[in-house]
Amino acid sequence: MLVGAFACAHTPQLLARPGTEDRDLVLRVHAAFARVKRRLEALRVDALAIVAGDHVEAFFLDAVPALAVYVGTECAGTFGRYRYRFPIHEPLARSIVEQGVERGFDLFYTQQAPLDYAFYVPLHFTMPEPAVPIVPLHVNVYLPPQPTPRRCYEWGRALGEILRARPERVAFMASGGMSHFPGTDRYASPEFEYDRRLLDALKDGRGRELAAVTGEELDKMGNIELRTWATLLGALGDAKADVYCYEPSWHHGNAVVEWVP
Amino acid sequence: MNDQPHYRFPPASAYRLNRCLFALKSDDGFRARFVKDARAAMGELGLDAADAAALLRGDRDALLARGAHPYLVFMADLRLRMEREPVSFEFF
Repeated sequence: MLVGAFACAHTPQLLARPGTEDRDLVLRVHAAFARVKRRLEALRVDALAIVAGDHVEAFFLDAVPALAVYVGTECAGTFGRYRYRFPIHEPLARSIVEQGVERGFDLFYTQQAPLDYAFYVPLHFTMPEPAVPIVPLHVNVYLPPQPTPRRCYEWGRALGEILRARPERVAFMASGGMSHFPGTDRYASPEFEYDRRLLDALKDGRGRELAAVTGEELDKMGNIELRTWATLLGALGDAKADVYCYEPSWHHGNAVVEWVP
Repeated sequence: MNDQPHYRFPPASAYRLNRCLFALKSDDGFRARFVKDARAAMGELGLDAADAAALLRGDRDALLARGAHPYLVFMADLRLRMEREPVSFEFF
């Protein structure tokens, strides 16, 4: 069963809280994360499927998967002093790989790859209590050529069908976005208006519009990570977004959003 | 230049440079060796003189021009600063 759907920002400054950040803004995003955590507890989820774009942590140029599924017993990652370890819901992960391949998606899978902060920053704040196992799903966003938003949307549609047919109560979370340009001259000038227009479309239930956006446009708007949102939206169809927060910082459009699938 | 994508296909000619930036970002042992003796650490990965010089200068534009991935340049620098100034985080 697919019982909940969320999108969460994952900028590491939310975790590390350097002096460069606006304290009140960060705390407002934390408050939105706390709402997600309470929702996940109310939904009594058995597992959390989380789609994120690895930031060249698990997958360097030695092997660049477009779409990958973690199918080990557990996964772990570190970022400075922060260390995380999560059990993987192995039957769910395995059925995603097997049924995904049956549906025509040539998936990469791993039983032992490091977990990127794109996964554990949102999980740090939103993991329900008691904690549930996860299924990390990777979409390549940082190493061109990336999968098209349309391909991500189609993969999400297949994922939605797979999750709905499962016996577990599963929440689906997209990690990433919105506009930011790490490592480029645009770092301090994201495209906040683009984000706001997109959020308006999502509030109207027009998520499928993201499938028609080009990769070139995403790059131009600092939104290469919205491939994870396109994946989530593929599973949701025309559901309307409930935007918990949109907080534009000096370098990042931080959004936290819920959809009822 | 403005029409260029922000994130470009990483040229194979920059593989060793990107490998070094990746190690600075994600390999605690390599980063510690780099902080202790940068030239020796870069030598482990076979960086050529021009790549090594750009990295030692922290010259972002030169690194990008040589094919470095912008995100790797950004995070390698951040992780080195985290190593050198561990108290500059968790202000609130």
